[in-house]
Amino acid sequence: MIFFETYGDRLITAFQVHLFYVLTSVTIGFAIALVLGILLSRVPQYAKVIMPLLSVFQTIPGIVFIGILFLYLGMIPATVISALAVYAIFPILKNTYTGLLDIKKEYIEAAKGCGMSPFQTLLEVELPLASPSIIAGLRMSTIYTVSWAVLAAMIGLGGLGEFIYIGIASNNDQLILAGAIPSAIMAIGLSLLIDVLRRVVVPKGIRSVK
Amino acid sequence: MIRFENVKKKYGNTVILDNLSFNIEPGEFVVLIGPSGCGKTTTLKSINRLIKPDQGKIFVNGQEISQVNPVKLRRKIGYVIQQIGLFPNMTIEQNIGVVPKRLKYEKKEIQKITRDLMEMVDMSFEEYAHKYPSELSGGQQQRIGVLRALAASPPIVLMDEPFGALDPMTRATLQKEIGKLHKKLNKTIVFVTHDMNEALDLADKIIFMEQGKIVQMATPEEMLANPASPLIRDFMRKSSLATDPLNLTAADFMSANVISVQKKKSIRECTDIMARQHIDSLVIKNEDETYAGVVTIKDIKKHGISSGTIGEIEPYQNITSDILENAKDSFDKLYNSGDNYVVVLNNDQTVAGIISKTSMATAMADTLWGDMQ
Repeated sequence: MIFFETYGDRLITAFQVHLFYVLTSVTIGFAIALVLGILLSRVPQYAKVIMPLLSVFQTIPGIVFIGILFLYLGMIPATVISALAVYAIFPILKNTYTGLLDIKKEYIEAAKGCGMSPFQTLLEVELPLASPSIIAGLRMSTIYTVSWAVLAAMIGLGGLGEFIYIGIASNNDQLILAGAIPSAIMAIGLSLLIDVLRRVVVPKGIRSVK
Repeated sequence: MIRFENVKKKYGNTVILDNLSFNIEPGEFVVLIGPSGCGKTTTLKSINRLIKPDQGKIFVNGQEISQVNPVKLRRKIGYVIQQIGLFPNMTIEQNIGVVPKRLKYEKKEIQKITRDLMEMVDMSFEEYAHKYPSELSGGQQQRIGVLRALAASPPIVLMDEPFGALDPMTRATLQKEIGKLHKKLNKTIVFVTHDMNEALDLADKIIFMEQGKIVQMATPEEMLANPASPLIRDFMRKSSLATDPLNLTAADFMSANVISVQKKKSIRECTDIMARQHIDSLVIKNEDETYAGVVTIKDIKKHGISSGTIGEIEPYQNITSDILENAKDSFDKLYNSGDNYVVVLNNDQTVAGIISKTSMATAMADTLWGDMQ
């Protein structure tokens, strides 16, 4: 308990900063991924080339990417957020794209035949049907981002990574756990939150199917 | 109502529609039929612009459709697709209301339409309106598929093999229902199928297509009497004996050549007929053509050849079978009863034919080895 007296306030701040990084970057990543996924699903012939190119990004180690951005943008939260957002994009993008392409053609044809415009078809048929897949992508991105956000501390921008880095440097197990356990709790908590979101977003009629 | 003028469509080098011209009158039930790849579905889909022809003109309600906004056009044409195609993310009520909603109908009005339509096919609004398609059986789903096409009361409804995926019993029921709906609502219906029985049952006019051309456009009676090509003849024979023996119905095995008489015929005349036809029993019909029973030569002997009518003799209640009944069930009946044949009845209780052991053997040989007649 002495530990909390010493580090309690810092831990709470670190937790908040960490959460802030995760939420903003995932939100930005989600918006970009959704739009990009929809656009790519309209032109699957190009997507076949573009998707593998984007997946190359994913293979660059986060530590390198944050390092490079740091050189250009400097030590500001935007560096961390944009790096994390870029990483958050891919799982959501991939799931949005495949989710939209996996929809059976007859639903699209039925929608067309019922006189829905392409935009109405997207909004009322395609996105609802792809929503389980999109939400699954969102969950993956969120959990990854919680762990990647640890890297923020590497360029001195706080978050739970701070405890882990200091703990490693000073060989203090308590500090490492103080960073790791809250990150795990955050990942689980956000994942539960996404379950709630899933229940709201995914239409009842297809929940049992998927 | 719908007019095709020299419509052509090619996919690569394959000609799909070859200079197609025809005319469909308002209120007609037209069935497009032909071997796969004959262009029947392409023809259907060019009516609501899901497919765009390369050349030629299509008129719907006097308007050339390439000049009409496709989205607006489709809201005025009901469309039922092959694989049901109900939106799984919407309730039954929302599915039926898809087109009325686009047309900005009031919520209350949509609900009333849904209720009325569901009533027409004997589905309770309270029970089903808020369910999702996955909670319904295939037959119920396709009923809703048909209702969705009717919801905004379009004058034209297109149906692309709507009952193809259903089991024979459900298909028969839905065929009956669609026939009723057509009579009641007076829509122009264009219906694609590869099942000749379905075509003969439903159509006012059948368009038989082959390689993008119309081989024959005629009423079912005409087509049955004078098929324009050997292929059509073949199609009618094959269709009437569905490939899967489990799908065969009493109709496939019966002999339609039944000697039947009305009750008011004199007994003397009846014995004459029996003598001439070398038969020992007659099927007796009521005045309204419905089935009354069977009178055998023994019954007549017992009664005495008087000058009375055949109606005076109490007819024997021979075993009967519904025309759509599974053939195997009819056979079982025939074997388990002592009767010499099964009388096959149409839906309206008129006599369609009989299945005797002889007609059964002929039909079985027919299925196994081809045309025996």
